[in-house]
Amino acid sequence: MTKEARENSRRIFLLVGRLAFAATFLFAAYAKLKPQAAMPWSVASVKTSLSMFAMQVDSYQLLPPQAVSAAAHWLPFIELGLGLWLLSGLWLRYSSLFTTLLLGGFFALMVRTYASGLEINCGCFGPGEKLGVKSLIRDGSLLGFSLAVTVCAFLSKRKHRDEVISAPASPAISSPQSAN
Amino acid sequence: MNRGNYPSSRWRVLSQIIVVLAAVALTCAVGTPAQTKPRAQSSSTANSDEIATPGKSIGNRAAPITMEVFSDYQCPSCGNFYESTLKYMITDYVAAGKVYFIHRDFPLPMHPYSHQAARWSNAAAKIGKFQEVDAALFDNQAAWSADGNIEKFVAAALKPADFKRVQRLMVGCESNTSAAVKPASLSGKGQADRGCALDIYIEQDQALAKLLPVTQTPTSVITYKGQRYPAMPGFVTWPILKSFLDSLLSQ
Repeated sequence: MTKEARENSRRIFLLVGRLAFAATFLFAAYAKLKPQAAMPWSVASVKTSLSMFAMQVDSYQLLPPQAVSAAAHWLPFIELGLGLWLLSGLWLRYSSLFTTLLLGGFFALMVRTYASGLEINCGCFGPGEKLGVKSLIRDGSLLGFSLAVTVCAFLSKRKHRDEVISAPASPAISSPQSAN
Repeated sequence: MNRGNYPSSRWRVLSQIIVVLAAVALTCAVGTPAQTKPRAQSSSTANSDEIATPGKSIGNRAAPITMEVFSDYQCPSCGNFYESTLKYMITDYVAAGKVYFIHRDFPLPMHPYSHQAARWSNAAAKIGKFQEVDAALFDNQAAWSADGNIEKFVAAALKPADFKRVQRLMVGCESNTSAAVKPASLSGKGQADRGCALDIYIEQDQALAKLLPVTQTPTSVITYKGQRYPAMPGFVTWPILKSFLDSLLSQ
């Protein structure tokens, strides 16, 4: 594989990963914020959906009620922001690192809950999804993929920096030096 | 810096955004009807089933919120849910006419006395004493779970005359049917074999649980003004449940 082909495949991998995670987080936020019963979107319906999500967070039995409420009311908006950030493609190294840390946190929490024998809803993409082997495999795979995207984003940046440093100086800069 | 690349890269970013947003919108559009369909189906089943249930409920039927809890009397998490959450809800919100509470029996196979406890609860419900027996069973869960002597606590919770009536309803239900034989009874044969007239109510709740579907206890199903919200399995603390009920009531 030529250097250019390798660089192209890396770029495609980063693009696909970034868009896939953007779509995943935008959908996760939507699933938590949308009206949970057949009713139109409104401020009240969003408040009810967030309260319902708080019940799912509470069922993990990890945080005190105040912290549960705060986490449940912030998390969907963090996911929405992260989805848009990934979509923009700005500072990809940091957005992918943040994605990996967030997914790592979710995965650790899910493993802990599953190991403790609690039978609850995952709450990952709205209500109705049981926390089980299927959701663990899915989130584990997402974490692995996100880790790969993060590593690739950092390597890509380092490579680009190395190339800039090792590149021959431009004639405009080098000519006075050569004159000396 | 190559300025000539700007327009093309801008179009590329725009096209990416459009593709992702379209994918998200498509997923949302496809996901929504699939979620509402079973809800509508189970709602009608719940209404017809409720008519046959012998008063395993507390509060005003006309309350804006109906909360159904699928529970197992021997499940520790259900006991905890009752003691730390439902008791407060019954005192505050059910008494105030804001919530109508319905108990649904979902005895799990791993608990040897939960089916028998559910029979006692149904017998008490038939004479209008569900609330007393429901509380007694959860309050003393650890005690009767150890030896299976449920009768003692039911007797203590009721007046002697009421207890006699409950005992009469329990004729034919004395033998503790292990939950392991429940699948046979669900097929319709078990009821006649055992001769316990109360099992029909437990089976109705189990059939309803299958439709929702409920697979674990406790599971709460909340309906507000005819709109059923997705089933919520697991323990929830009172402040968080209260906040959800308040958000519904403020709509």
